[in-house]
Amino acid sequence: MKNTKMISLLVPIISVILAFLIGCIIMAALSANPAVALQALWKGAFGSVRNIGTTLSRSTPLIFTGLCACFAYKCGVFNLGGEGQFIMGSVVCTVIATQCGFTGLPAIIICLIAGAVAGGLWAMIPGVLKVYRGQNEMIISIMMNYIATLFMGVLFTNWLRDGSVPQTIAVPDGTRLTRLFGLRATSAFIIAIAVGLIVYYFLFNTSKGFQLRAVGFNMTAAKFNGFAVEKYFLFSFLISGMIAGLGGSAEILGTQFFLINGYAAGYGFDGVSMALIGQLHPIATMLVAIFFAALRVGSTTMQAATGVPTSVSDIIQALVIVFTVAGLALVKLPEFKAFTDRVFAKKKEVA
Amino acid sequence: MSWDFISNLLLASVRMATPLIFLALAELYSQRAGLVHIGLEGLASIGSLVGFLVSLITGNPLLGVLAGAAAGILVNMIYAYATITLCAEQIVYGMAINIFAPALASFIYRVYFGAGSELVQVSLMETLASRMGITANGFIAKLFLDQTPMVYLAYLLVVFTVIYFNRTKSGLNYKAVGEYPKAAATLGIDVIGIKYTASVICGALAGIGGAYLTTCYTTTYVDGNIAGRGFIALAAVIFGRWNAGGVLIACLFFGFCDALQIRLQVGSYNIPYQFFQMIPYIATVVVLAAIGMKKAGPKSCGKPYRKEEL
Amino acid sequence: MEEILRMEHITKRFGDMYANRDISFDVRKGEVHTLLGENGAGKSTLMNVLFGLYQPTEGSIYIHDKKVRIDSPAQAVKQGIGMVHQHFMLVEAMTVLENIILGDRNTKGIFIDKDARRNEIQKLADQYGLEVELDKPITEIAVGAQQRVEILKALYRGAELLVLDEPTAALTDIEVEGLFKVMNKLTAEGKSIIFISHKMREVLHISDRVTILRAGRSICTLNRDETTGEELANLMIGRELAPSHYEKIEQPGEPVIALRNVDYCKASKHNGLNGVSLTVGRGEIVGIAGVDGNGQSQLAQIVTGVLVPEGGELDLKNKKIAVFSPEGFIEERVSHIPEDRNKMGLIGSMSISDNIVLKSTEKPEFSKKKGLLLKKKAIKGYAEEMREKYDIRCVSVEQEARNLSGGNQQKVILARELEGNPDLLVAVHPTRGLDIGATRFVHDSMIAARDRGCGVLLISADFDEILEVSDRIVVMFEGQVMGEYPGKNPPIQEISLAMAGK
Repeated sequence: MKNTKMISLLVPIISVILAFLIGCIIMAALSANPAVALQALWKGAFGSVRNIGTTLSRSTPLIFTGLCACFAYKCGVFNLGGEGQFIMGSVVCTVIATQCGFTGLPAIIICLIAGAVAGGLWAMIPGVLKVYRGQNEMIISIMMNYIATLFMGVLFTNWLRDGSVPQTIAVPDGTRLTRLFGLRATSAFIIAIAVGLIVYYFLFNTSKGFQLRAVGFNMTAAKFNGFAVEKYFLFSFLISGMIAGLGGSAEILGTQFFLINGYAAGYGFDGVSMALIGQLHPIATMLVAIFFAALRVGSTTMQAATGVPTSVSDIIQALVIVFTVAGLALVKLPEFKAFTDRVFAKKKEVA
Repeated sequence: MSWDFISNLLLASVRMATPLIFLALAELYSQRAGLVHIGLEGLASIGSLVGFLVSLITGNPLLGVLAGAAAGILVNMIYAYATITLCAEQIVYGMAINIFAPALASFIYRVYFGAGSELVQVSLMETLASRMGITANGFIAKLFLDQTPMVYLAYLLVVFTVIYFNRTKSGLNYKAVGEYPKAAATLGIDVIGIKYTASVICGALAGIGGAYLTTCYTTTYVDGNIAGRGFIALAAVIFGRWNAGGVLIACLFFGFCDALQIRLQVGSYNIPYQFFQMIPYIATVVVLAAIGMKKAGPKSCGKPYRKEEL
Repeated sequence: MEEILRMEHITKRFGDMYANRDISFDVRKGEVHTLLGENGAGKSTLMNVLFGLYQPTEGSIYIHDKKVRIDSPAQAVKQGIGMVHQHFMLVEAMTVLENIILGDRNTKGIFIDKDARRNEIQKLADQYGLEVELDKPITEIAVGAQQRVEILKALYRGAELLVLDEPTAALTDIEVEGLFKVMNKLTAEGKSIIFISHKMREVLHISDRVTILRAGRSICTLNRDETTGEELANLMIGRELAPSHYEKIEQPGEPVIALRNVDYCKASKHNGLNGVSLTVGRGEIVGIAGVDGNGQSQLAQIVTGVLVPEGGELDLKNKKIAVFSPEGFIEERVSHIPEDRNKMGLIGSMSISDNIVLKSTEKPEFSKKKGLLLKKKAIKGYAEEMREKYDIRCVSVEQEARNLSGGNQQKVILARELEGNPDLLVAVHPTRGLDIGATRFVHDSMIAARDRGCGVLLISADFDEILEVSDRIVVMFEGQVMGEYPGKNPPIQEISLAMAGK
């Protein structure tokens, strides 16, 4: 019992250590001193209150897409469209904030809600096609990502273009989220944490969340036990899309303010990878998001200090997912169980 | 619409379908052995980068393609080990490959060229016609002669695959592994061996598919250049009902969509070009939605295979 | 007579459990040698050892008096051993011919020469009287024909010794007769057969010698001519076989569920229903007897709302059902012990306690405000109570349900399905794969539910189980009801004929 919980905690930790080890080897190969590099990485991410603020700010959109993936997978649907849903949320939020001409808290709330709704609706497309047409939700949601990205392109190159610059006009000051203690992190971070806690509470402390998890674990048994599986599928698509969409609007109102080429690129897959490393636990997913953000923020400092390119952090991140998923499979193998049983048995003998 | 427009469109369709054919065949070989692989996008990206680098260094695009295949195989061995030996979930691990391989490709590119370097370009593979020193005029000549060797290879592979799975003993055994590995094992078929072989083939073909983009299509590598082709190829396999012939038709259709969007962009100034770029993606969604429910494909796909005993 | 196989002192241990313990027996050329034993007596393990799927912990195998090591099915095939598994090893997406030549190493060349192979196999089939249509896909031929394909597969690989693992389990009586003819022909041609069964009548009919296995040990080997059914049965079970010890009800209460002319995929003989009419009253157990795959699964899923019938009517407690959904039936207090525990009954990755309260988390006992806050302590406490009451053997109720043994998994399902005092209990193969103790527990629970006034629909392919607990017996064949018989002093002969469609 306790062993399995410990192992599921140990696997990602060991994976992180292994990934860093390989990262260090790469740094050494690039003739940088890994110790110095790691120190710079740490300093960049957590070295000062200001840096921590930046890290938290960077982690905010990741938390949203991570929770988006987490929520969908808990119900057994593979929503890979977090990025598209995030972008559609941002798009609708940008349009409303820039075009409606209202400001203040009510405007902010309307923008956030509109973004969430947009994300939710965007997610319903693969959702509906899965439930009613039996289609592969992974392919469809990926296609919806590309369509969303291109649609965003229409806005910043054409419809909402800011003069000669290929970006949209910025949202007015009166619709921007407040900064926390003058740091880069804004109230968007608070919203992200709140969403994470709500998701956690819903999944593990309510009856509907319990049923949703049951559907995710074993759809057939859930159906036989009287859960309308299709409804749960649609619901989880809707909610996961809404989380991503809310993330998109919070990112626009909090830190980004306008749409530009490359905005949100990779957030969707980042979300997937955080949810998988966090083993579909919302709190763990949030922690992984902060870890990822720290790597990204810290790597800039690291590059300045040692010349190691920032993309080392991407490699480390990618290695963590490769190791974690393989590790989690490994510990489930009967051979591994037999092995640990032997080890534990020996320990007992010694004791 | 002029004949010129149409003939150019068709010629471009053939070119655009080629990388999809490699990727879709990669998926087909993987699934026929019971391994669903959603990580083609990642395999193609590493194949694309390595193909680009090697053809830049050696000046030989063919070597680039070979190197791309090797890179695809190497990365896919990670997938193979995790899903076949460790019995990791295929979908989840495919996703891991999709995250890992592009990061690796992007990193190698950055390290090799340094940050903020200028765009580096390579020369593309010659077409058969230009290698023979002739200029192909007319639609038919262009269609059959003015193509890179990779295009011919793609079609040869389709023919080979059809024959292999339908006419050969080895192909029959291979299919049995994807359908019912336990039954195959009782007949002395090496299930694990075939699954690994499938992963080698899949990695090579996906690597070639990616390398095609940087050795035959565009002269440079950029992050994200696979642009969803890995997933469109997945759709092509479903659309083609797991037969190489059907897969070819599906790829030609998606290739046509891609060619169409490029052609339409030229000369339409009033409509933002992004709307045309959406065409292949929308087509994929519409096609999948139109096929509807029917569950099909090799039966053991997605299920790990374990020998009975501990 | 010449000895072809000898297994000596075979022991196979899984962890601390002995599946086989010091088993010895031999097979002679041209004989049918039966391995007789109950479920879990170790027959299948022994055969998996012979076929190279398992390695014996101890003991040795001799073929033609020569010691051999068999570490893979390919090795076994090389030694002339052919196996027909209980669950056929046939690739459904392929034709009969393709299945037979699959994995073939005897012929040269890269390509398949279908015509040559077809001729060869047709000759072989004719020689042994095995009727098969070589170019049909597996999905389009009947179970009996699939079995013939399996036998042909083994013969094509040059099998001298055929192992038939419970070959009659899925066959009708007519098909069984056909199989016996084939077996006689095979032995007449000098092949040997190991026949695995627990059906006394068949064993007496076809065997030359019988080796009895009990609890992993070989008890003895007898010549058929020198033994009787009673002796074999007693040796197999290790005690006298008692007739049903449950009291049978003859006057049931008002009907709980009534089906009138229910159709589902009418044309399908194996997976459909054709004009089924049936009633289950309060306080009675109606047993549906029949060979697996004659529409029982569909019947079970219709009376629990999982499937929607295509024709006919269904009354639940005298109200006609308009909308079919599992939710609706559960609300009407219909409980279901589904045929596949792991796939349909349990959420394996969730804990025992979660599985026990699976359907009832919205009840005020287990949550506040209609499910907005789960009362985790109450749930755990309740699960502990159920653990006691249903004798669920586990380390903790927080343990994942998938790690339980089959019997304990079934008890978890019983705890969930029976505690709500259902009006109707639908139990499908409720004791499949369970040991004797757990089987008894399940039967006792069903009888107790009946005595509380619950109607029970028992669907089972185990005829003995049907006879043991049913108050009324209904026989199904190819989607149709063949007849109804009393559970007290049932006309066994008549019922078995009905099960074969006569």
